[in-house]
Amino acid sequence: MQSLGIDVLFKGRNLLRLLGGLWVAVRISLISVALSIVLGLLIGVLMTGKSPVLRGVFRLYLETVRILPQMVLLFIVYFGTTRLFGWNLSAEVSAVFVFTFWGAAEMGDLVRGAILSIPSIQRESAQALGMTPRQVYGYVILPQTVRRLIPLSINLITRMIKTTSLVMMIGMVEVLKVAQQIIEANRRTSPNAAFGLFAVVFLLYFAICWPISRLAGYLEKRWA
Amino acid sequence: MDWGVMLSYLPLYRDALLLTLRIGWQGVALALALGVVCALTLHLRLPVLRQIVTAYIELFRNTPLLVQLFFLYFALPKVGVRLSPDACGTLGLGLLGGAYMAETFRSGLDNIPTIQSESAQSLGMTRLQAFRYVILPQAVSSSVPGLVANVVFLLKETSVFSTISLMDLMFTAKDLIGMYAKTLECLTLLVVFYLIMLLPVSFLGSAIERRLRYAEFGDRRTV
Amino acid sequence: MKFSTWKRITAVALALALTFALAACGKGDSGAAPAGDAGSDAAGFRTLDEIKASGTVNIGVFSDKSPFGYVDENGDYQGYDVYFAQRIGEDLGVEVNYVSTEAANRIEYLQTGKVDIILANFTVTEERAQEVDFALPYMNVALGVVSPDERVITSLDELGADDEVIVISGTTAETYLEKNNPEIKLQKYDAYAEAKTALENGNGAAWANDNTEVIAFAIENPGYTVGIPSLGSADTIAPAVTKGNDTLLNWLNDEIMALGAENFFHTDYEATLLDTYGADYEDTLVVEGGVTAG
Repeated sequence: MQSLGIDVLFKGRNLLRLLGGLWVAVRISLISVALSIVLGLLIGVLMTGKSPVLRGVFRLYLETVRILPQMVLLFIVYFGTTRLFGWNLSAEVSAVFVFTFWGAAEMGDLVRGAILSIPSIQRESAQALGMTPRQVYGYVILPQTVRRLIPLSINLITRMIKTTSLVMMIGMVEVLKVAQQIIEANRRTSPNAAFGLFAVVFLLYFAICWPISRLAGYLEKRWA
Repeated sequence: MDWGVMLSYLPLYRDALLLTLRIGWQGVALALALGVVCALTLHLRLPVLRQIVTAYIELFRNTPLLVQLFFLYFALPKVGVRLSPDACGTLGLGLLGGAYMAETFRSGLDNIPTIQSESAQSLGMTRLQAFRYVILPQAVSSSVPGLVANVVFLLKETSVFSTISLMDLMFTAKDLIGMYAKTLECLTLLVVFYLIMLLPVSFLGSAIERRLRYAEFGDRRTV
Repeated sequence: MKFSTWKRITAVALALALTFALAACGKGDSGAAPAGDAGSDAAGFRTLDEIKASGTVNIGVFSDKSPFGYVDENGDYQGYDVYFAQRIGEDLGVEVNYVSTEAANRIEYLQTGKVDIILANFTVTEERAQEVDFALPYMNVALGVVSPDERVITSLDELGADDEVIVISGTTAETYLEKNNPEIKLQKYDAYAEAKTALENGNGAAWANDNTEVIAFAIENPGYTVGIPSLGSADTIAPAVTKGNDTLLNWLNDEIMALGAENFFHTDYEATLLDTYGADYEDTLVVEGGVTAG
């Protein structure tokens, strides 16, 4: 039995490169989640509004995002937009764009659900106390909404991190691509490196996502 | 937009759709089976098995399908386990889906207050009867929205199959773009075919959801 | 809840949106121009002066195709193509920004202006020449097929009905086999690393690709033999630029001719390929000064 490629990890800067690739994934998801939360709050509030047109538009947006695979969206944004509009987006910008487009929709729906889950009696009581609609939102609805949202948005982070594995397909060098490059550069000396490297990539993703989803689960239980 | 070219690509996309559907449904079936077994294991608190199932669920819920497929397809043969692309796709989707389905079923089961099972048993039902006639119907109906969402999610995830040489929709689009550079045509067909595949599932889901809703108290959508 | 109504509306609206999108694209294309043109006009490219002014040139290379374009354990790009790319950067007086590309993305990258030059073992073909502009060649190539020693495939006829041939999506091998041997079942991968691992794992009976590449693979990996060393026509490999980018194209042609005087590509071969191929292939592979022997 030849080595299974673990030794290859410690050659040169390989391990660092692999972690660097992981950081690319994490960075894209963090930026996207941050943007998604801001946009999602806005969309969520608008989705609970009275205008049927606005609600319809956002519903359409949400369903579109839900039904198309993220990979398809990535391809459309990365290659399609250049063809159609002449925008030349880098792979990273495209990825952030797609993940935000997707995240904002999901977040918007979560926000909508969270707002609706707050009993209407609270709103009515607040109004009865003489608060303006703005005050009702700022002091009564939103604080509770945010609390309900935090675990859900943490969950969204893990979903995003997992989905970032797709950016390899639009030419970004992230952890999976780095793993392939390392396998390729060492094919002669350790032909079985694929096993070790892909196992390590698998575990790296787990090591990042698992604690985050545990945290989300914990907060969900505590704040429910 | 070159309509002639699009027309000539149609058969390729149709084949890809059929392949995606075939492996997609195999994977979903496997996921459902795995999900039920795992959910019951957790619900019944079977010793040892429960820990194994929990580890499995956590592992597969917290890693991307693409990485799972890479591991199954490219890494496992290095230690002597070689699977066909078909088998890998099915297994990968099934394992990923199983973890999600298990969570959905489990929360469906756990949402039924234990008093119902106790009452049923005090009416003279056996544990099995109580489970079969009282718990299960409610659990199933409250899991349905989650299950449908999972199915749509899994069918969407098939878009990463292209990396293990399965000629799915995504692959066909990428391949044609690579060979003939008709990007817009290929991407448009890609979107159309995904809609053809996913809209009916989504419709069917909401139809079933409505039919089953009578078993529910209020709005308990778990999606 | 009115979910199904919503979904119905969604479906209709999506269909409408698509129709509009299609109509819009149809208009954008105006006339029966080849589809590639519409895109490159929209995307644009950077002229020689713009590249020089920006201080960096974006060059698309492979990152998993040793010994032509790959990344070493320090994260640096290496290989025959990269050696040339480095020289281009020096002579342009700019930094080189390497963009990792897959075979199937190469035309797309140029047409969308995401790279200025593709230096990724890009074989010159008629179909491709309609989409991009090729400069003078710097290497000879044909197709080749490599298979495991246990069952060396020496002719395509030896492939049984159940045998699958591994190819990489977007390569000349793929196009050639699709066109000339449609009965052969192909197993297609995006990346070189994937295809090679699949061959090692026994997922296909053989791997068809540029012969340079399969020869290198067989030399580097014991247990494999190139049963078919040359298939299809003898082709060349050249740098490519976005269609219509004449300033850059002319500069590249001048550069390749000038480099011929100092036997640059032989030096390149000796620096990057000698370890793999030995000296025997030097004169067969290298094209100096853009002049092919035959």
